[in-house]
Amino acid sequence: MSRVLVVRCHPLRECYIDAVHQRVLAGLAGADVATVDLYREGFRPESSIDETDGHVERHRDLLRWCDALLLVYPTWWAGQPAMLKGWVDRVWAPAIEGGDRFTNIGQIVAITTHGSSKLVNMLEGEGGKRTVTRNLAPACGRGTRTRWIALYGIDRLGDARRSRFLDRAERVAQSLV
Amino acid sequence: MRALLLVVDPDPASYTHELARRARSGLAAAGNEVTVVDLHAIGFAAAMSPVEREAYHGDEPLVSEQVAAQAALVTTADALVVVYPSIASGLPAILKGWFERVLVPGVGFGFNAQGKVRPALTDIRHIVGIATYREPRWKVAVRNDNGRRTLTRAFRMSCGLQARSRWFGCHEPTSSAGRDEFADRVEREMTGLS
Repeated sequence: MSRVLVVRCHPLRECYIDAVHQRVLAGLAGADVATVDLYREGFRPESSIDETDGHVERHRDLLRWCDALLLVYPTWWAGQPAMLKGWVDRVWAPAIEGGDRFTNIGQIVAITTHGSSKLVNMLEGEGGKRTVTRNLAPACGRGTRTRWIALYGIDRLGDARRSRFLDRAERVAQSLV
Repeated sequence: MRALLLVVDPDPASYTHELARRARSGLAAAGNEVTVVDLHAIGFAAAMSPVEREAYHGDEPLVSEQVAAQAALVTTADALVVVYPSIASGLPAILKGWFERVLVPGVGFGFNAQGKVRPALTDIRHIVGIATYREPRWKVAVRNDNGRRTLTRAFRMSCGLQARSRWFGCHEPTSSAGRDEFADRVEREMTGLS
């Protein structure tokens, strides 16, 4: 049975990202799933002089347990929201900088929404995507695959497009089972 | 000229804070008015709260007094200077959160009649990044310097074409003499900013 860690990052309980999260969980039926909801568990995103706390150790244990990591979040200011960036800073930084890697993770999937267009995101340098492909993936293994599942210009899209993206998120999740 | 200098490092005795002091000296020596904000010292929260997210697209997106004070500082600034240690090729979360929470609609950008984003910080003429990296220059280039791009591309879009950016990176491995030299250079270059 494949083991999937889902990380959800959005300040609101009811929002489009939550709908994506629900469909992802539906798609993962049959897999062994663990969920980290950063806002709900009150994760502290700010770095501090003493970096260790219970959250960080537990999250690293989960990262050593899973075969696939699935991130669900909105893209803000061309990248991961500060809450999720703080998770990367505090939980991942040692692995990114050459420490013990999460070699068990074969695939990282980012499912994210953007207020701006694909063009604007390209001009901005696609920092969020590169955080996943060039920082998180190399901190796992050489063969770790990444998939970028993104919806652009969400504020100007109609219900049909939003609904199709939810279907896509569920299909992507199913492919991990 | 008014400069807003944001310094990010939880350790007040760090090299980051030394660089911030040197940058401030340089800016002040050139006759600029400098406001220094130490995000860790003021207890700035990185994460946008649920209340802030609910208010984001409304008439009053600045919910907290602390955040509103930051918005007042940046809207009256001619230069934004950030001093930070790069983490995972990007801005530390607390600084990323400053952009998300302070530069809300009406502060960092506005929307035109078609709903397209338009710059709002049109007074900003200088964007300056002073960053320390725990990796050599080539490795940062391979990974993509996302922190720098957040400032020089995404933030610059909030300012407009009048804004020019300057970037100073101190890369590992570096010696103590190399650090001193870099700090000297930062101070000297800031003296020329007006």
